[in-house]
Amino acid sequence: MVLKIFFPRCCNMADSGLLIGHWLPGQDSAVVLAVVHYPFIPGQVKRYLSQLQNESRVELAVLGSWSMPKEGQEGMESFLRDLSTIFPRGRWLQLSREMGKRGFTCQVVHRDGELPRGEGENCKGDNGDGGGVIFIHYDQRKSQPLFLTDKYDDGPLKLTHWQSEGREASIIVELAKQASVPLCLLLTWLLSLWTWLCSSRLLNLPPVRLVSSKLSTCVQLSYRTEHLQTVSSPKRALGHAEFMRKANIFVSFFVDVALGLLLISWLYRENRISRLANTLVPVADRVAKELQELLQWLMGAPAGFKMNRALDEVLGRFFLYHIHLWISYIHLMSPFIESLLWYMGLCACLGLTFALSVLSDIVALLTFHIYCFYVYGARLYCLKIYGLSSLWRLFRGKKWNVLRQRVDSCSYDLDQLFIGTLLFTILLFLLPTTALYYLVFTLLRLVVVLFQGLIHLSVDFINSFPLFAMGLRLCRPYRLAEGVKFRVLCEEPGKPLHLLMEINPLQYGSVLQWYRTPTYNCYPKDSWAALCKKLFVGELVYPWRQKGTKTD
Amino acid sequence: MFRRDWTGRNPVSKCIIGSLVMGADSDPGAPSAVPWRKVLYERQPFPDNYVDRRFLEELRRNVGVRRYRYWPVVREAGLVTQQLSCVAAFLTLWWYMYQGQLYPFTLLLAGLLCALLGYGLYEALGGPRTEGRTRLADLQSAAIFLAFTFGFSPVLKTLTESVSTDTVYAMSALMLLAHLVTFPYAQPSPPGSLSLNAALFGSVCLASRLPGALHTFAMVTCALLVFALWPCLLHRLRDRAPRGFPWAAALVSLGGIGGLASQSPGGAVLLALAQLALTLLCPLLLLWLQEHKDNIHGPWDEAEIHEDLSRFLQ
Repeated sequence: MVLKIFFPRCCNMADSGLLIGHWLPGQDSAVVLAVVHYPFIPGQVKRYLSQLQNESRVELAVLGSWSMPKEGQEGMESFLRDLSTIFPRGRWLQLSREMGKRGFTCQVVHRDGELPRGEGENCKGDNGDGGGVIFIHYDQRKSQPLFLTDKYDDGPLKLTHWQSEGREASIIVELAKQASVPLCLLLTWLLSLWTWLCSSRLLNLPPVRLVSSKLSTCVQLSYRTEHLQTVSSPKRALGHAEFMRKANIFVSFFVDVALGLLLISWLYRENRISRLANTLVPVADRVAKELQELLQWLMGAPAGFKMNRALDEVLGRFFLYHIHLWISYIHLMSPFIESLLWYMGLCACLGLTFALSVLSDIVALLTFHIYCFYVYGARLYCLKIYGLSSLWRLFRGKKWNVLRQRVDSCSYDLDQLFIGTLLFTILLFLLPTTALYYLVFTLLRLVVVLFQGLIHLSVDFINSFPLFAMGLRLCRPYRLAEGVKFRVLCEEPGKPLHLLMEINPLQYGSVLQWYRTPTYNCYPKDSWAALCKKLFVGELVYPWRQKGTKTD
Repeated sequence: MFRRDWTGRNPVSKCIIGSLVMGADSDPGAPSAVPWRKVLYERQPFPDNYVDRRFLEELRRNVGVRRYRYWPVVREAGLVTQQLSCVAAFLTLWWYMYQGQLYPFTLLLAGLLCALLGYGLYEALGGPRTEGRTRLADLQSAAIFLAFTFGFSPVLKTLTESVSTDTVYAMSALMLLAHLVTFPYAQPSPPGSLSLNAALFGSVCLASRLPGALHTFAMVTCALLVFALWPCLLHRLRDRAPRGFPWAAALVSLGGIGGLASQSPGGAVLLALAQLALTLLCPLLLLWLQEHKDNIHGPWDEAEIHEDLSRFLQ
């Protein structure tokens, strides 16, 4: 088996000394963590190691010796060999560098009197004859056991290992950590109060629940509550995924609130709110007027279509009356709209997402008449389509067999046939009128849904975008590793193979995919084909779709 | 029974007949020590597709072919002719209404009279009543017809207002043609769904072009009489009074031609020619073609089970 030695790159040019690390049991490989330099007292090294071992619970050992030739330090070989008797282990590695060469040589000395595996100064057999050595150079990042007591070489021993770029800010971090515990507790208490308030009986009455599940502000509120509960739980994050989730939520929450405050600072200056309110009512009025004109157009001969005059007039008058009701409602509301907007704008200090949700709700409420028209049109159209499809079966002398889920032939009575055909004729000739109304109102509704969908998408984007993970990937790519790759560093005959182990950072796409905070899915669940089919048969598409649809 | 063993139970066996015969011809030197048996459940020293020379002995021709005689066929063809005439008569009536030469009241009264007469005749002819059909049920049906037609007639009247007249005519013509094509001439009672529905659809389309709601009502009622009730009566007549049936058919045919003649003589001539061709020439054609019939039957046919299996079906 080939002996694999993991060697930190930072120790490449270290002074001679002892190699500290640990053997990976059962894998025939050693991980070098640091180099202890001369001069040292062997007893101190042993004590230091045992202390580290106690603190970190990682089995540490002296792996061997490291020699870096320098002027005036000849004749170390015998000294290094002698060292192996001081630190008794199964195997003793003797690594040495030569001046002016890239690779270094290795000699493995077995304790139990066997011959050294490496022959002479060279380690042969890196082509797999059973006793080869492969050096794998790696980037040392935060080696946990040594960093627990990071004392900047002020101890009795001089070590070479990876040094962090500085921990000056660590005091602030520590203070923040200390302060976060009571803050978290306070937040948890407030949140529990809030959830208790939400779960009170008055707010759980069916109509209230129905309305609140349709208002995107309420949905956003419940998600934020859930997020804050996750973040403020005083328990330590157990795994990497949980930690990343917490951090992502935390960062995106802060960004959200910051954006919201920006919005507020823009909105509440220069009397913008009242200007907005003053334009809102005319806009709603204008929309209603346009709708009225559209209905008048439909009641004539729209686009050359000749519709059934009687039905056309009935439908047109019905919808016109509806718009009339709507306009009076808007005018009744208009004195309060400004103050209403003023208070609603305060929502933005909870975050930009709240402001967007409120906007979506306002749009939904202001276009409620379009929604109503759509529902009426769709219901009427759906009735016609279903009636026509079943009467068409009757027309051909067939019927739908519910038990076998197929069309069977059936002999009808004379009166059934007569009435069925009469109704079929009537429905068929009235279909274009209904279909045109349905088409127009569906298009209007789709425009509104599209707008709301865009708002929901942006809210969902802010909610779920893993900002922290992205930042980590940008600044510390090695923290999010997808795997490792090896590169041949130096391959010379008669010398061990040197490989460089590099960390493969995660792709940005995968970062997004893995660390996306799961949110409520605001995307339509139907495929495009299913949506088109629904539109064609006149089922309601969004929202207020029946959840438990009756099948069969 | 023997035949069933050999052919199996699926129509696929028909497809392999060719290869079977080939096997018989191309393999004359098969070992003849063991006589070949036409069974598949025994292992025999023959290929699976082997048959011997007796194969074509079982060929039979024109097994179920009936020899027709001319006059009975003409008699049956009278049904087709009179149906054609019915359509013509209905169209004539509609034309009269459209021109305003026939008042809806007159038509309704005539229709009522015809319906009562027809119902009396129907009852007088006797015959098996449909199960659960009492006089009350008949009355109920009549009430439903009248009530629905009367109630819907204003709607029907405005139904095709915005559709162009040509479209309505084309649609009605298509539907009446579909009625004639799909009419179940062999078993006209009750009238087939598709034919009756097509006729009603066409007549509603036509009726909606009439000037008033009452006109529409009268026309739809008339369509009901002509297309739904008359075939029932005619069928009963054919069953119970075979002698009277040709006379009735001839009367209706002549009535249709006469009615059309009063509006357009050219159309009447065309109709008469068509009816003559249908009644006299088409049966001749049938008889002539029947002689050229060549139908083969044999062991390759699908198996037919002749045993009485009802004891297995509880």
